[in-house]
Amino acid sequence: MTSTRTPTVRPPAPEPTAAQPRRTFLGLNREALFLAVPALIPVVIFSLYPLLRGIYLGFTDARAGRDLEFSFTGLDNYATMLGDSYFWESFRIGLVWAFGVTILQFFASLGLALLLNQRIRMRWLARTLAIVPWAMPQVVIGIMWRLVYHPNAGILNSVLKDLGVIDSNVEWLTSLSLALPAVIVVGVWAGMPQTTVVLLAGLQSVRTELVEAAAVDGANAWQRFRAVTWPALRPVAFAMTTLDFIWNFNSFGLVYVLTQGGPGGATRLPLLFAYEEAFRYGNYAYAAALGNAMVIVMAVFVVLYLRRRLKEAD
Amino acid sequence: MKSIVRRATVVTAAMSTGLVLAACGAGDSSGTDDGPVQLTFQALAFQPESIEANKEIIEQWNADHPDIQVEYLQGDWASVQDQLVTAFEGGTAPDLVHYESSYLQDFADRGWLLDLTDMISDEMKDDIRDGAWDAVTFDDSVYAVPFLLDAQVIFANKALLDQAGIEVPAPDDPWTWDEFAEISRKLTDADTYGVAWTLKDPANRILNLALNFGGEFFTESDGASEVVFGDAEKEVLQRIHDQLYVDQSAAPEAIGMGGSDPLPGFFDGQYALLPKGIWFRQQIMDQAPEGFEWVTIPALKGESQTQAAAPQTVSIAAETEHPEEAMAFLEYLLNAENQATLAKGDWMIPASEGAAENEVLTETPDWPVAAASGAILEQAPFQTVRGYEEWKNKVANPAIEEFFANSLSMDDLGSKLVDEGNAILERYQR
Amino acid sequence: MRVLRSLSTPGKYVALIAYLVFLAFPLLWLLSTALKTPPEIARIEPTIIPENPTLENFRVAFEQQPIARALLNTVVVAGTSALITVVLSIPAAYVMARYRSAVSRLTMLWVLLSQLFPFILVIIPLFLVLRNAGLYDTQLGLIIVYVVWSMPFALWMLRSYVSGIPVELEEAAAIDGAGKLRALREVVAPLLVPGVVAAAMFAFVSAWNEFLFALVLLRTPELQTISLTLVKFIGADGVARLGPLAAAALVATIPSLVFFAIIQRRLVGGLLGGAVKS
Repeated sequence: MTSTRTPTVRPPAPEPTAAQPRRTFLGLNREALFLAVPALIPVVIFSLYPLLRGIYLGFTDARAGRDLEFSFTGLDNYATMLGDSYFWESFRIGLVWAFGVTILQFFASLGLALLLNQRIRMRWLARTLAIVPWAMPQVVIGIMWRLVYHPNAGILNSVLKDLGVIDSNVEWLTSLSLALPAVIVVGVWAGMPQTTVVLLAGLQSVRTELVEAAAVDGANAWQRFRAVTWPALRPVAFAMTTLDFIWNFNSFGLVYVLTQGGPGGATRLPLLFAYEEAFRYGNYAYAAALGNAMVIVMAVFVVLYLRRRLKEAD
Repeated sequence: MKSIVRRATVVTAAMSTGLVLAACGAGDSSGTDDGPVQLTFQALAFQPESIEANKEIIEQWNADHPDIQVEYLQGDWASVQDQLVTAFEGGTAPDLVHYESSYLQDFADRGWLLDLTDMISDEMKDDIRDGAWDAVTFDDSVYAVPFLLDAQVIFANKALLDQAGIEVPAPDDPWTWDEFAEISRKLTDADTYGVAWTLKDPANRILNLALNFGGEFFTESDGASEVVFGDAEKEVLQRIHDQLYVDQSAAPEAIGMGGSDPLPGFFDGQYALLPKGIWFRQQIMDQAPEGFEWVTIPALKGESQTQAAAPQTVSIAAETEHPEEAMAFLEYLLNAENQATLAKGDWMIPASEGAAENEVLTETPDWPVAAASGAILEQAPFQTVRGYEEWKNKVANPAIEEFFANSLSMDDLGSKLVDEGNAILERYQR
Repeated sequence: MRVLRSLSTPGKYVALIAYLVFLAFPLLWLLSTALKTPPEIARIEPTIIPENPTLENFRVAFEQQPIARALLNTVVVAGTSALITVVLSIPAAYVMARYRSAVSRLTMLWVLLSQLFPFILVIIPLFLVLRNAGLYDTQLGLIIVYVVWSMPFALWMLRSYVSGIPVELEEAAAIDGAGKLRALREVVAPLLVPGVVAAAMFAFVSAWNEFLFALVLLRTPELQTISLTLVKFIGADGVARLGPLAAAALVATIPSLVFFAIIQRRLVGGLLGGAVKS
């Protein structure tokens, strides 16, 4: 293997290596089409129409109602949005939430994945216990954390008081300034197993002999991580943080169960805001417009973040 | 793999049946011409006792009416809004829907609910109190039959009352807000707060209590509603705020609580008084430690004891294919006797006056207080305001929470409620 | 992997235990709550070990809601969804990683877009599509939604894994005289196992916990999944019957954990290293 000394596992040249196919469709030969098409059919049927429909609604005045007609209104909804202070406030909260959860989650999960990848006793048990948050239904997570954060009957305050960290009970979920950090912790907790499992799987593509060789060369743990582990893990790590960011930005269920967006709107995430527009006030068009705006915002972040990766891939 | 293939075949068959049905224009709840009429009723019963009551009523009905069969579906409060909105949009709503009056107007405006005005029997009209009917009537059309009512009362730790030498007031001689403030101060000491106001999503509660001093929050002129915020509206807000920050007789940690959050503190004697809805009796009974003595204090009196009647209701979906049969079942489901059973199951006040006499209810603890609370319930202006839900969720709940957290002044609260509120209401009046 | 060698072994275990306590304490809490009576649950200073342990909550939970039936339904729905997702994704991910084509690029765009677009905004149109296809109130409808939902993630993950496998390996196998498909089966497939496991788990667990779509799609009580059953223990104003809820939630959590305990071995590494050496 010539690449043994260059630790970067570069994606191979994506040219088909087999003999050039005779007939192609959009650059795919028959064999490739045969492999790809089964996956594409359900995706197209069951998500293309709903998605296009959802996007279109954002440019209309659609409202909830039986057999209601609606019409195309161009950018009206977006003009409303620009002047909607509630939207901007929730947008700010959404950014804090999405970046906070994604970043903390990534580092916490990376540490855990590295630990779980070691040869340790009872590894199967440790790995199983580590995914407990993932296995729990969201409603239960919400109720459980409300009890943990409960001001006078919660475990958290009683532990902190015993440790002498705090003197009096802290109102985690109902103080205007603490509520958002408190729900971010729950967000990290709930999302860690998934990120950990994916990173753990990603660690399997790190070549053991490279790490060993680096160790023989006298590299310390950090250097070995930088030179060998990280380059191999990078594609997976990028993919996962991107998706985590998108998911976190789009998620609101957990926060909804925990705080319903309170106190004083301090945890009203943008999608919770959009959800209320659609399902509480029947304002489908405005909700869809909010969705479209969010998609564009996220797309900008994702493209900025992945620019280097995308270039590599080309 | 094999079983999946088999499943797929079965489902394909089911699919084509579904398509055929759809092609015939038959909905999901249809019966064929020969068989009995099939109705679905989605209830939000939650306590085992009330689930049982619902099921028994339906079983009895099904036994008596072989040609109209009702299927019981259990919904849940946490997600019923999402579910109903989607089901009504998709044409798959249950024939009969249990919900509460505050959502009816929006649903009716969207054409989802059947206008029941001319379908309700005189007997039922007479049996159910007027305040409850008002709450389900919009532009002279009735969109539901009301059945369960709640009222704001106060639960008290009996031992702490006795210790302080405080008498329990009789239902016909309730505490005034001044007396309540005084008593809360008296009950406050190093270990105990006089009162625990749980003020999560407080708008409904505050608007309800504001009626005690004539605070109506909305005025209507030419069919258009506007938010008002004057002295009458400020009264209750100021009094509770004073208890928190002037008297310090109200527990500061309780303001963010909802549901059963305050119970551990209440049982532990940290809070002497706990203002809550009458239904909360059940929670206390269920969870109180052995030997814990508690008592229900009647609703407070300002200029009056008036509170808003916001009943739970049963409506009929506009899309139902069997409106008459559905109404027949509804008349039975909510007759005086059944309302008594259902009210007992949920520890609430029946909208039926006949039911309130039923000994099923009169034997429950502190029933006289509950019965008296039924009489103070009236329709409130905010209940017929179009856009109230959005005003409440978007503006009022957060702003009032900030006010009670002492990070918003009364004046700022007022300008938020009025200016931002009117901007929202305007959209609904177009 | 000895990246953390400098961290002493006891240090490693302390760190790991700290993580596990943080992540797994709810299991203990659920168990404790499930064994308590209502008054004990409402105590100001909750203890982990119940004073008067009782199995009453389990009895109530199973008696009042069809928990066993719901679990079975959920196993069928989640298992089928995971299986279909993985089976459809592997070949497609391979093509996307190895061929430079418009389809690959469009698909990647699609994958991203479908994740970007918030689910609540497509739920009503999607619901209408399924209803018109006669899939209302069927588990097949639910399975389709879950597959479509999980596939973008599965595709993207698996594509990353395929990209990480040096193409020389395939070439070497081809030179050795193995056909293309055999090269795929014998060289690429084993290296993909950790990624496939991660993708399958993702599909399984998301289907297992999904609530909103199951809520609107399934009406017949006999078809309902476990997350629908759990919320029946929650009432108005956020009041919950904590004992039965905890008992039911515990029962609902175990199958996912068992499933993972079984397949986690497949996440174990060394496969790629071995292949490269040979």
